[in-house]
Parts: sequence; structure tokens; C-alpha cells
Amino acid sequence: MQSEVGDWIVGPFVAILGLIGLILFGRANDGEMTVFGAALALFAIVFIFSLIKRRFDGGHAVQAAAKGAGHE
Amino acid sequence: MSDAFAAPRPVMYNEDVVKKFIIAAMFWAIVAFLVGVYLAAELAWPSLNFGLSWINFGRLRPVHTSAAIFAFGGSALIGTSLYIVQRTCRARLFGGRALADFLFWGYQFFIVMAALSYVMGYSQSKEYAEPEWHIDLFLTVVWVVYLLIFLGTLLKRQEEHIYVANWFLLAFIVTVAMLHIGNNAAVPISLFSAKSYIVYSGVQDAIVQWWYGHNAVGFFLTAGFLGMMYYFIPKAAGRPVYSYRLSVVHFWTLIFLYIWAGPHHLHWTSLPDWTQMLGMAFSVMLWMPSWGGMINGIMTLSGAWDKLRTDPGLRFSVTAVGFYGMSTFEGPLMSVRQVNALSHYTDWTIGHVHSGALGWVAFIVFGAIYYIVPVLWQRKALYSTRLVSWHYWIATLGIVLYIVSMWVAGITEGLMWRAYDQYGFLQYSFVESVVAIHPYMVVRLLGGLFFLTGGLIMVYNLIQTVKSPTTELPREKLQSGYPAGAVPAAGE
Repeated sequence: MQSEVGDWIVGPFVAILGLIGLILFGRANDGEMTVFGAALALFAIVFIFSLIKRRFDGGHAVQAAAKGAGHE
Repeated sequence: MSDAFAAPRPVMYNEDVVKKFIIAAMFWAIVAFLVGVYLAAELAWPSLNFGLSWINFGRLRPVHTSAAIFAFGGSALIGTSLYIVQRTCRARLFGGRALADFLFWGYQFFIVMAALSYVMGYSQSKEYAEPEWHIDLFLTVVWVVYLLIFLGTLLKRQEEHIYVANWFLLAFIVTVAMLHIGNNAAVPISLFSAKSYIVYSGVQDAIVQWWYGHNAVGFFLTAGFLGMMYYFIPKAAGRPVYSYRLSVVHFWTLIFLYIWAGPHHLHWTSLPDWTQMLGMAFSVMLWMPSWGGMINGIMTLSGAWDKLRTDPGLRFSVTAVGFYGMSTFEGPLMSVRQVNALSHYTDWTIGHVHSGALGWVAFIVFGAIYYIVPVLWQRKALYSTRLVSWHYWIATLGIVLYIVSMWVAGITEGLMWRAYDQYGFLQYSFVESVVAIHPYMVVRLLGGLFFLTGGLIMVYNLIQTVKSPTTELPREKLQSGYPAGAVPAAGE
């Protein structure tokens, strides 16, 4: 799977957002900031996992295609 | 050998993100209409809030407006803009798939967080800019990503010319960024608290708010959707834009005039009179570009009027342009100070807003969605054009019920509030005007129910379009030679 430069920038950027979310969650003074911080951290985790999953899925698809071409 | 004989290189468009935005737009449409109907019921029978703070009118109203404007309208706009910019530039989206995915999920995250904060009771109390500072900052990040993707795609285009739809879309993106940052300049009471105070105060706060508010109408709800109009009506009609020169004049006059019109929201307030007159004068001048654009949109059908009989999706688009003309006639009329003295603070304003939001914005989106879904999902046609017709007539009837009832209610309110008796006392108490308009509140609810029903018909029809075997393209017509999401640009 061809890697795009954007993928490498977006991942760490969202990780920083997630860390900010955790800090907001940990030190929140009100209910709204608690919810927002927790949700931002969760958003970052799920988003980064989806990036990792897509990369592995793409890699497997390329391998499978290469194997299929080898059998022909 | 000349390059002219070489086959155009296929462009791998990113259609995945466009599909996601279209699905989100349909989902949020139903949410927005549903909450609107519930609020209409609350206005007719206030006890329907059951004494629960999180579903009272004050908290649910921004949920409805944000769901309609930013969630439904915004998702449709961003999705179609990414579709348009790729195809008219013959270039894949700038920044890669991850950045586009961040744009989609980040924007949905903003919507959910904003709605949650409203029902929890957090608000800046600025109309259409209710989210508190932390949500505003997050949206700023997402919006900058959107600008990067759009601008980057324009810059790497393979077409020399930038099609006029992209001009409108870029104006929408840039101006909304400027408005959002300018209007939401706030100081939080602490970095870990949601509460903040806006840096402006008094009448300055009011004028900045309505500079933002009116230009949210002008650049989010008008310029953006005009971009949609300039792409999808010519595509659906199979005709070029009636006058490309008029579209360029339309663009420059619209963006020059709109930005000054905000003060008409503050007539008869402590805002200086000259500022009110300035807002009024520019609002009246807006008639010209608005109607120029309307004529351009409608006349694009020259030579293809017969398609209105056979393509109900196109009927939505053309009716939307009609409503655009109507509401951009009514708006300047209401901005005249003497008319505004009657209409302001009444339900006439609500009727005006909905003739624009339902008739123009929602209808132009429906037209675009009915065009784009079979293309994106590679289906031969919509599941049922009959259902599209049903949607069209039910929704149109809903709008008529809505705006007529609000006109009558608004003028009734305005006249009752200004009536004096022979001794100079007000003739009616406020509550008497509330009782007088109750029947119109019920009619408005009925109009909203019609519109919601039409939306549900659309969602069913589109789900069937994607899933039903009857809409499958023959195997030889599927673009199987290309990876998923890749479409040969030569077809454009």
C-alpha cells in the first residue's frame, strides 16, 4: 500500500489532540469540560487505530494480490 | 508524436470521503427536521418540555439550528465541494486520505460536541455561534484542514481554468474562517472551564455578532450553495451555465455587498443610525446580484425544460433557485427600517429564514444528492423517481404551510404589539398576541411534519438506490478497470 505524507502528519497531530483531551479531562472544572476532554481523547484513540488498521489492511491486500498474480 | 493523441491519465479521485459526508448529511437532515418538529410542537403546547431542562426550547433550539445549518448543510456542502473540486480540477484531493478522514470525523465530532454542550446548558448566547471557546477552537483546526485540502487541490489542478463553482466555494471557506475567528474572540475564565466571556461588549458585541450572523447566511448558506448550484444544475440539465460572464459578475458583486449588510439585524437599537442605514442600503443593493444569480441558474435550463418532467431531482434544484429568488427578495424588503419596525422580533422572520433554509438550502441539497448518489455508488439510476416526486410535492406543501402560517402570525404579532388605544396605552398584552397566533403554530407544526416525511421518503429511496438489485449497473459498465474510488477524468 502506497504511503502518503499526510498520513504521517495526521497521526501525530491527532495524538497531540488526544493528549490535550486527557489533560482537559483530568483537570476539568465543570461537567462540559469533563465530557469534552474525555470525548477528545477517545476520538484520538479511535482515529489513530483506524489509521493503523487501514495501513495493515492495505498491506494484506497488496500481499494477497501479489500471491494471486504468482499463481496465474 | 503529439501529446494531444495520448489518452488522458485517469485520476484516482477520493470519493470515499464524499460518500461519508453525503451519508452524514442525510442523517443530520432527519435529526434537524425531527428536532424542528418537536420544537414546533413545544411552541404550540409548551408543556411538551415536561419540565426537563435539557429538552426545553432554549436548549433544543440551537440543537435544531446547528443540526440544520452546520450538520446537514455543512456536511452536504463539504462533501459536494470535495466532489466538485476534484472533478473540475481533474486532481485527487490534496493531503492524502488520512487528512480527508480527519476532516470528516473532526467535523462530525464538532457537531456532536456542540449539540451535547447545548443540552447540558453551555452556550455563548450568540445566535448560530453558540458553542463555547474550546469547541470553537477545535472547529478552527478542522476548518483550516478543510481550507488546506480545498486550496491544495486547486493548486495542483490539471485544468488551467478554475470553474466558477470553486470560486463560490473558496469564498465560503475563507470568509467563514474569518467570521468564526472574529466573532468568537473570547477569554475563558480558566483553561479548564467551559465558560468564557466575549472580548467585545455592549453594542460592539452586537454588531460583531450580526456581522458574523448575516454573513453566515451570506457565505455559508448562500455562497457555498451557489457553488453547488453552478455545478449540479448544468450537470443534471446537460447544459452549460446560461451566462458564464453573469456568474462571475454574480460572484464579485455578491461577496462585495453581503459583508456590509449585517447591521439590518439591529434596526431601532442603540447602534448608530448611519450604521443601520448602511446595512439597509447594502441589503437593498443585494437584490441585483441575487436575482442575477437566480436568472442564471434558471436560464441554464434553456433548451432542457422538458427534463423537469422526467427528472424530479432537477425539479428540486430549479425550485430551490426559485425559493432563492423569493427569499432574497423578501430579505432586502425586511431590511428596510420601516418594514423592519413591523417584522422584527415576530414570526415573520422565522418564516423568512425557513423559506431560505427549506426552500433554497434543503432543496438545492436534495437536488444535488439525488444526482450524486447513483454516480458515487455506481448505480444505473435512482431506485424510484416516483418516490422523488412524492418527496418533492410533500416537501413543497410543507414549506408553503410553514411560511404562509409564519407570515400571518408575524404580521398579526407586529400589528398587535404596536396597537395603542385612545389613551395611548398598549391595546394588547404580550400574552394576548401569543394566544392569537396559536392556530398558526399548529399549522407550522403540520408543515414541518410534511417536510420531515419527505426527508424520510428520500432516505428510504436512497438506501434502496444503493442496495436494491434493480439499480445495479450491468457488469460491463462498471468501472472495473480502476481501483475503488478511481474514476477516469476523461469522462468529465
